[in-house]
Amino acid sequence: MLPLRQPFDVAQSPAAVPVNLGRAIVITSGKGGVGKTTTTANLGTALAKRGANVALVDADVGLRNLDILLGLESRVRYHLLDVLEEKAELDDALVRDKHCPNLYLLAAAQAREKDEVDTESMRELIEELRERFEYVLIDCPAGIEMGFTNAVVGAQEAIVVCTPEVSAVRDVDRVVGLLGNAFAPKLIINRVRPHLVRKGKMLSVEDVNSILRLPLLGVIADEPEVIVSTNKGEPIALRTDSQTAKAYHSIAARIAGEDVAAPMVEYKETFMDKLGSLLGGRR
Amino acid sequence: MAVLRGKGLGLEIALGERDFEEALAELEGKLGERPGFYSGTQATAAVGPSGLPEEQLARLRTLLSGHGITLEGVTTAHPDDGEELARRRALRPKRELQLSDAARSLAPDFAGARKDIAVRRSRGESSVPRLVPVPEPELQLAEIEPAAPATLYHVGTLRGGQALHNVGNIVVIGDVNPGAELIAGGDIAVFGSLRGVAHAGAQGDAGARVYAVDLSPTQLRIATLIAADAGGREVPKQPEAACVQNERITIVPLNSAERFTKKTKEKVE
Amino acid sequence: MKARKIVLTSGKGGVGKTTATVNIGAALAKRGHRVILVDTDIGLRNLDLVLGLEKRIVFDLVEVVEGRCQVRQALIKDKRFESLAILPAAQTRNKDAITEDQMARLMDELATMADYVLIDCPAGIEGGFRNAVAGADEAIVVTTPEVSAIRDADRVIGKLAERSIPMRLIVNRIRPDMVRSGDMLSIDDVCEILSIELLGIIPDDEEIIDTTNRGEPLVLGDYRLRSIYEKIVRRLEGDLIPFTNLDAPGFFGRLIGALKAG
Repeated sequence: MLPLRQPFDVAQSPAAVPVNLGRAIVITSGKGGVGKTTTTANLGTALAKRGANVALVDADVGLRNLDILLGLESRVRYHLLDVLEEKAELDDALVRDKHCPNLYLLAAAQAREKDEVDTESMRELIEELRERFEYVLIDCPAGIEMGFTNAVVGAQEAIVVCTPEVSAVRDVDRVVGLLGNAFAPKLIINRVRPHLVRKGKMLSVEDVNSILRLPLLGVIADEPEVIVSTNKGEPIALRTDSQTAKAYHSIAARIAGEDVAAPMVEYKETFMDKLGSLLGGRR
Repeated sequence: MAVLRGKGLGLEIALGERDFEEALAELEGKLGERPGFYSGTQATAAVGPSGLPEEQLARLRTLLSGHGITLEGVTTAHPDDGEELARRRALRPKRELQLSDAARSLAPDFAGARKDIAVRRSRGESSVPRLVPVPEPELQLAEIEPAAPATLYHVGTLRGGQALHNVGNIVVIGDVNPGAELIAGGDIAVFGSLRGVAHAGAQGDAGARVYAVDLSPTQLRIATLIAADAGGREVPKQPEAACVQNERITIVPLNSAERFTKKTKEKVE
Repeated sequence: MKARKIVLTSGKGGVGKTTATVNIGAALAKRGHRVILVDTDIGLRNLDLVLGLEKRIVFDLVEVVEGRCQVRQALIKDKRFESLAILPAAQTRNKDAITEDQMARLMDELATMADYVLIDCPAGIEGGFRNAVAGADEAIVVTTPEVSAIRDADRVIGKLAERSIPMRLIVNRIRPDMVRSGDMLSIDDVCEILSIELLGIIPDDEEIIDTTNRGEPLVLGDYRLRSIYEKIVRRLEGDLIPFTNLDAPGFFGRLIGALKAG
């Protein structure tokens, strides 16, 4: 007789897993350029700053970028395909981050193609990473072809990143449909410009989520500092003075299960800061 | 206490403990510092337990609307009021738990399950009722003539890129997002927002209908007719049906005043 | 005479390929050319949305290739122009629904019906990219002045060069203030890394967000970026138009220094 299935404890987070295996979360969107890689780098940094052991995996074979955002491009010696093809050990391929000692990167290959990745091997690799790290964040490439399939295969959870634009919402919706129920996708809305939303020249958070209908992890306003940090190779989450950094830190706290104040706080803060300065410089 | 505060996504005008004239003058000054800055926002006025006389309320409203601010409400609660806190907590967006299929299958009545589990746990029983197979007498299966053709019944939201095709009718309990597609030989009914493409009577039945709680499709097709929303339809959200009348696709509200009868089937080549 | 078949590609997603396809196509149509825009992003179609034509889609690219309809039935004519039409992608299918051969033959067929066929390529360098490129004779590579976009553009340029496809570059979303403060790469930096001929420099402008959300091409209104696209089109036609100075009056007049756009 087959054993009865483990009773599912509804009071726990659906992402709860046995203590010894880490959480593998894929960060995806369908649409390119919405901030997946930036989010992966910054969430990884924020989680590592909280003391967790974090591995970041760049699944964008052929168009790798995660290493640039972390400023580690010159330190990559072996990449994902080298490990999958057993030409290198995982330990040799994992690059330690410059700023956070418990953050590691597994870079993608640049001169290879996405269909060279074997899906089963990818799944096993993520599993192996889960045995060593509390969080494994997988940066998914744009699109819904093989690259997407391979990025998603090892993950149990998903974070979808969307910008307040009609084409992004449409693409993200497609991806959520493809992911199905198994990944419990949560939403980050990125690059919001509150002044444009107020003028009705940009979709609001409600506009976006009235179609996507996903639990909201965070709303991040558009800051030019993000471009600067990308070019410098220093994730913005390392800074203490940036709205965006604060947003990533509170998202990391939510991922870790803390009951942080409502996700709208990033949006409100931008407005509130303006109000604060109007009422006498109190920030 | 400052007269003008941010609260939620709008403003709060704190008049409770202030002399009205003084507060109003301060408010006027603050708004005047940055004309247009607050335009388009909403505000609530927090007043003392005795409320606010009509005349003062009118003056407040006039001042606010002069700066493009809508006064949407007046509250007499003190922010530290337990009731007020509870009200605000209720207004915060709830985070929804997403359950796996495995979880869903264990507790058919999910709404009651959480309370039930807590109760059982406090009694020391297992969290979730385990089903114990009970030997049952042989059931006589009823003889039911299969309705032809069958209705495809889908529970869940259809996302962009997903499609349902059926020879008979299609019923969706959930939304149909833009980019999703429903093609039915019969009728289509959506218990939610229909925002994708719906094609009813796809095999030629022009008497087929499309029903939705919120009928806002990218495109509607019935038999060989196609209609797209011209946009700018300022109709409040209400359940509606689309059908063919006088060889055009027409949208009809589904309210109780109209008796909506099924016409005899029309065939269009 | 057969049309010029130009693919717009980038490698990196979100740099503005679809927006550029729509605005260049619309500007070409305004100049009197017959233009067909093709969306090859099967499964993630957006070209129709950016032009505001999503409600008029009846047939798509895949259905044409599978023979379920004629090309003319699938083409959607934009009523705001004399001769601008789009061939939408399929939404409920995948990129393996068509082959490179089928794409090449379809683009040839479209080339008999127009002066310009602009092919909007999906992000990446996988099957969708290969299909899109299979039907083209020329390429426009779109990038932003960010290291990750440039790296991806470089990869794509390599692949196009392998196929001997002549290409030109558009640098999108440049922010003169950030270039000046050293926080963003300059046009010269970008051109030095990528080393291909420059076709256009487009400044970052908020009006793009609203116009794409509403499906309105820039040539239809009094928009700041309109003249930039008109110049790009003139260069495509073969004219040598110099790149305007960003500090010319009526543009970003308050800035100093010789930064270029156009």
